[in-house]
Amino acid sequence: MNIRQAMKMAFKSILGNKGRSFLTMLGIIIGIASVMTIVSTINGMNKRSLEQMEAMGTNRITVSVYLYNGQNAFEEMYDYCNSLGSKLVQGVTPTGNCSATVVYGSKSSAAMEKNQQNMFNGDGTQNSNVALPPSLYYGSDQYGVCNNFQIASGRELSNIDIKNYNQVCVLGARAARNFFDYADPIGKELQVNGLPFTVVGVYAEKDPDSQWSMDNIIVFPYSVSRLLSPGTQMNDFVVKAANAQASVEVSSRLSGFLTGLTNNGKSGSGYVDNSNQWQQNINEQATMMSLVLGGIAAISLLVGGIGIMNIMLVTVTERTREIGIRRAIGAERASIVTQFLIEAAMLCGIGGLVGMVLGTIGTRVAGSLLVHMDIWPSLSITVGAFLLSVTLGIAFGIYPAAKASKLQPVEALRAE
Amino acid sequence: MLVKLKDVYKIYSEGLESEVRALDGVSLEIERGEFVAVVGQSGSGKSTMMNVLGCLDIPTHGEYYLDGTDVRELSDKELSHIRNKQIGFIFQQYNLIQNLNVLENVELPLIYQGINADDRREMALEALERVGLSSRIKHRPSEMSGGQQQRVAIARAISTHPPIIMADEPTGALDSHTGKEVLGFLQQLNKEGSTVILITHDNGIAATARRCVRLADGKIVEDRLQEVDWL
Ligand SMILES: Nc1ncnc2c1ncn2[C@@H]1O[C@H](COP(=O)(O)OP(=O)(O)OP(=O)(O)O)[C@@H](O)[C@H]1O
Ligand SMILES: [Mg+2]
Repeated sequence: MNIRQAMKMAFKSILGNKGRSFLTMLGIIIGIASVMTIVSTINGMNKRSLEQMEAMGTNRITVSVYLYNGQNAFEEMYDYCNSLGSKLVQGVTPTGNCSATVVYGSKSSAAMEKNQQNMFNGDGTQNSNVALPPSLYYGSDQYGVCNNFQIASGRELSNIDIKNYNQVCVLGARAARNFFDYADPIGKELQVNGLPFTVVGVYAEKDPDSQWSMDNIIVFPYSVSRLLSPGTQMNDFVVKAANAQASVEVSSRLSGFLTGLTNNGKSGSGYVDNSNQWQQNINEQATMMSLVLGGIAAISLLVGGIGIMNIMLVTVTERTREIGIRRAIGAERASIVTQFLIEAAMLCGIGGLVGMVLGTIGTRVAGSLLVHMDIWPSLSITVGAFLLSVTLGIAFGIYPAAKASKLQPVEALRAE
Repeated sequence: MLVKLKDVYKIYSEGLESEVRALDGVSLEIERGEFVAVVGQSGSGKSTMMNVLGCLDIPTHGEYYLDGTDVRELSDKELSHIRNKQIGFIFQQYNLIQNLNVLENVELPLIYQGINADDRREMALEALERVGLSSRIKHRPSEMSGGQQQRVAIARAISTHPPIIMADEPTGALDSHTGKEVLGFLQQLNKEGSTVILITHDNGIAATARRCVRLADGKIVEDRLQEVDWL
């Protein structure tokens, strides 16, 4: 007897007893659908939090240095970091805040401050047209690299700007829009605390949807703090490591460097914070969650599988006489085993297909209702779920099939 | 010699107090082309003997040669092939598979022989024609009368043209008229050269056999040839 014959026979037998077949499949359907829904939803959530972290800039190391003699530690930091090479460090910048009023023509940051009170319409909804005041930062020529900004037009701050105390600045996309509407800001002059600053570049927009976004910024060469806020010391820096692995090494090297710089804490204090750490924590949490929920789903799948085994056993008992007849007219043991295995695999395969459809629907629904995301189950999860169900069918089909084939024909024939 | 039993025992619960000797030292030889009726009271061991002869059961002790081959030395697979090719079974309870239709039931032994679909169908239809059922091939067994079901079972038994036909009370569940019809088929098959072993407790039916073997308590107590009119 060939496989095609056996498959035909199995198909007939499944159709011949629709109620029993449906009950068998139900376990697998529910199992597969829930595994797919849970795993896909978690994957989608993980992907989103990864994307959010990516937008903020991954592999950022925050360094704080405070020297008791009031000196600025950045130049030493800058030289040290760039000496580590681009395989470890991609950039380093101060992150000092600057407070100043910025004016261009009739627009001023002072007026924008007042807008904050008009943020909300009378009905409580947000008024998205309102311009909010920009955040002002001191940065190095590597500010964009460190904070994941790309130059959209013009240029980044340069080393020469810093050395020569050039009165220039780079705008975030939303700040550019707030001050210049849709006109080209490059070459225009902003009045910052009454001093003229030329716009040399604009960053590409990262977060178009939010008014308080990271795009509403103006970055000045850190050296001009001498003009805008005399006497400020640069204490906080961001180092951008090449990748997650490098960030671990860079953190430890920086710690060593700071120990030397502060003379082992005697002439100052230094602190390195690897934000990768909390990324890792988030990842670990996500992994834990997928393990727990995935475990629950796997258990439901297992219960489904045991249900199949149970039904297959009942089937064999129910059909002992049929097996006896088949053996009496010449079926080999192998033919009986093949028939029952194929029957089990087919049941689970059909159940798996239905489960896949329900799992896809479940993922869509869970995605939109629970986490407000547009999630599709990935191909690997879908195919994996299907293979899993067929494998389960075969695994749980083996025992009853083997049991059925071991019967002596005469014993099987005697069964009622 | 087609069939040769030599001192065969079939003992259930051997050595226990509840020991049953269903076959208690049976020796029997059957030649090719014979028509043998096996008679005896209920519980005398008739079915047990047929199960051993048909390779459906294994004797506890003793030797069994089928066509010269020592059956004890055959594997389960080889026994399956013998049942498939050499023997056609007809049972009292018809033993048709309920979720297959008439044609599929008759085709089943041919499927296990690995015969291709076209030849299979032709052979099955030919067998059904011989028993006069070629018009009802798509019916389920449950939609047919007992006599018709037994004819389907006969068609299944002869579809492979086996040299031996074994029938265990084939008329037991039928009225006397349909019973005679079934008996007629067996006689016809025997005329065409098949060896027929027929189990019955009906002395009238036993009287139509060329040879009659009587069992009592697992032993052969009588083995005689008789005159018949149909040969
Ligand atoms: N599986 C078994 N376990 C124990 N005893 C059995 C078993 N099968 C048959 N027997 C016993 O063996 C003896 C012979 O049984 P068998 O079925 O061969 O009788 P039979 O001649 O065919 O009777 P009947 O005319 O009623 O069909 C009986 O006493 C029966 O109880
Ligand atoms: Mg009997």
